[in-house]
Amino acid sequence: MAIRAALSLLKRSTLLAAALGTAAAGAAEVKVGYIYVGPKSDYGYNYAMDQGRMWVEKNVPGVKTMSFENVPENAEVERVMERMIKSGCTIIFPTSYGYLDPALNVAKKYPKVIFEHAGGFKTAPNLGTFFAGIDDAMYLAGMTAGGMTKTHKLGFLAAHPIPQVLRNINAFTRGAQAVDPLATTTVIWTGTWSDPGKEAEAANSLVDAGADVLTGHVDSPITYTQAAEKRGVMVVGYHADASKFAPKGWLVGAAWNWGPMMGRIIKSVGDGTWKPEHIRGDLKAGDAELTAFGPSVPPKVKEMVLAKEKEFKAGAAQLWTGPIVKQDGAEAAPKGGMLAMASLESMDFLVKGVVGTVK
Amino acid sequence: MMSGFDAAAGNFLVSALRSSTPLLWVLLGEIITQRVAIVNLGVEGQMLVGALSGFAATLATGNPWLGLAAGVAAGMLLSTVHAGLTVGLKANPFASGLAVWMLGFGLSAFYGVPMVGQKINGFAPLPLGFLSGVPVLGPLASQLTPTVVLALVASPLAGWWLYRTKTGLAWRAVGESLVSARTLGLKTSLVQVSGILAGGAFSGFGGAALSVDYTRNWVEGMTAGRGLVAVGLVIVARWNPFLAVPAALLFGGAEALTLRMQTSGVPISSHLLHTLPYLASLAVLVLSSRSANKEGGMPLGLSAVFSQSR
Repeated sequence: MAIRAALSLLKRSTLLAAALGTAAAGAAEVKVGYIYVGPKSDYGYNYAMDQGRMWVEKNVPGVKTMSFENVPENAEVERVMERMIKSGCTIIFPTSYGYLDPALNVAKKYPKVIFEHAGGFKTAPNLGTFFAGIDDAMYLAGMTAGGMTKTHKLGFLAAHPIPQVLRNINAFTRGAQAVDPLATTTVIWTGTWSDPGKEAEAANSLVDAGADVLTGHVDSPITYTQAAEKRGVMVVGYHADASKFAPKGWLVGAAWNWGPMMGRIIKSVGDGTWKPEHIRGDLKAGDAELTAFGPSVPPKVKEMVLAKEKEFKAGAAQLWTGPIVKQDGAEAAPKGGMLAMASLESMDFLVKGVVGTVK
Repeated sequence: MMSGFDAAAGNFLVSALRSSTPLLWVLLGEIITQRVAIVNLGVEGQMLVGALSGFAATLATGNPWLGLAAGVAAGMLLSTVHAGLTVGLKANPFASGLAVWMLGFGLSAFYGVPMVGQKINGFAPLPLGFLSGVPVLGPLASQLTPTVVLALVASPLAGWWLYRTKTGLAWRAVGESLVSARTLGLKTSLVQVSGILAGGAFSGFGGAALSVDYTRNWVEGMTAGRGLVAVGLVIVARWNPFLAVPAALLFGGAEALTLRMQTSGVPISSHLLHTLPYLASLAVLVLSSRSANKEGGMPLGLSAVFSQSR
């Protein structure tokens, strides 16, 4: 028995060595794994990440990718990562927030594999993080909404009052107010990242309350975009271009552009310059962007928004410059003052002109 | 002249109807199923396969009516599992229901992947004729979709069926006492299976109403517990199809109200507001159980499942 076990072990290790040998021989080809928490065709966050993957496959030579979607944020994702590593992945992008700790566990076990987590704030010798601020793009989308609204009422469907969502609501509102000082944003909390039934009704409630532009921050923009179109109001997208769901009412959207950043990360691994750091991009760097405008947006509004985009990109304008006034009238930042990165990442207030509560 | 308040009240009614509709379909189905003394927790899963099949069929054929038909078929098909387990094998209905729920979730999640992000064209607005010209009422009616209108018709129809037809009598007889029904010469197994399948048809329709008409979208797990809520609402509706509309409206209306209170700028925590539909149902349950007779409309055959005291 012992001999048979030893033989089998020997056989397995030779197989492993052979497998490693082939991997080494094909070293010119890098295999990169992507893991998504939802479906990659949701026209939302996961879709945007997968667009990044496709950009990499097309534009970075010698890179092959594989992806798994609908992977829950628990031990399951560790198994998926190990499977990816066994099938030859040397770089892994776990793209959901809850994948951070599982990724740290797996990273410890496989020190030769590089992990790049989306949006986390922890690192390990072989784990770094990447993300981008989309605030500027949301501000520009808000300006478009402000230029188009007739009722001065904008509606925002939001999942949970976390800093990232509050930043988007506030950026959108400030953008709208820069064009239309009377503009207000009514927020509806759906209490969930994904419940199309509730999202449809929330969109209808906002329209009934007089909003003539809807936008939102939930997993997928499809439901509220279609609901807006059905009710004949305008819509501003988030995460990705979902204009096909509202051919008439689509104004513009704030979208991600992850491809180039992912490409740079993969290249840095290849040439040995990769470091476990927090990489953060923005509109200026091209990691977030404004989608194409819809057919109803007149040239006057487009020009105004694009001019502001130019200012952001040139660094001539900063979104989070004071005065920033909270709902209750207190000043979050005085005139000329700026909100620090730390207070942005922990934002817990809504600005004046937003109808709704944080709690 | 309609005041802003009247318009808001009208909007609220439409909104409550809209968000109650998928729930109402499932509730009607579960009422019928429980009237043959079978509890079906699997309606959540039946709703999910109904939602997926309805969406897929609408996408494939471009016809939302065929989508609804596909939803009915899928819901019925999955309910045969529950029928087979509970009636055929006399399995525990709670265990069987949970199994059907999980099966429906798994199947719809697996086969639903290519349906995510697809665009369907739902129903065109209902032809309103002279009504479209009437102020307030016209615009409100224009928001009602076929599944909402059908749901309002289906509820009294199901009640009539249950109380005025031979099949309905058989269902009720079996639900009250299997033994007496058998002595009457009824094939009780067949009657129970038909009650479960009818329930499957309704829950499948409810799922399809959600994906084909209400949201025009397919998302994994998109029923979000509505099927289970319907199982609970059966008690509020006192196992009576005629009371299904107010019971469903109570929950759907409270859900619509939580969203509407936010748009009205009432400074109440949204976390608190989200509990409102459950609180409202609970309150009616407590009130109705105090005022009504002891059975509360429950088929006697179910009492072994529900009441410890009997």
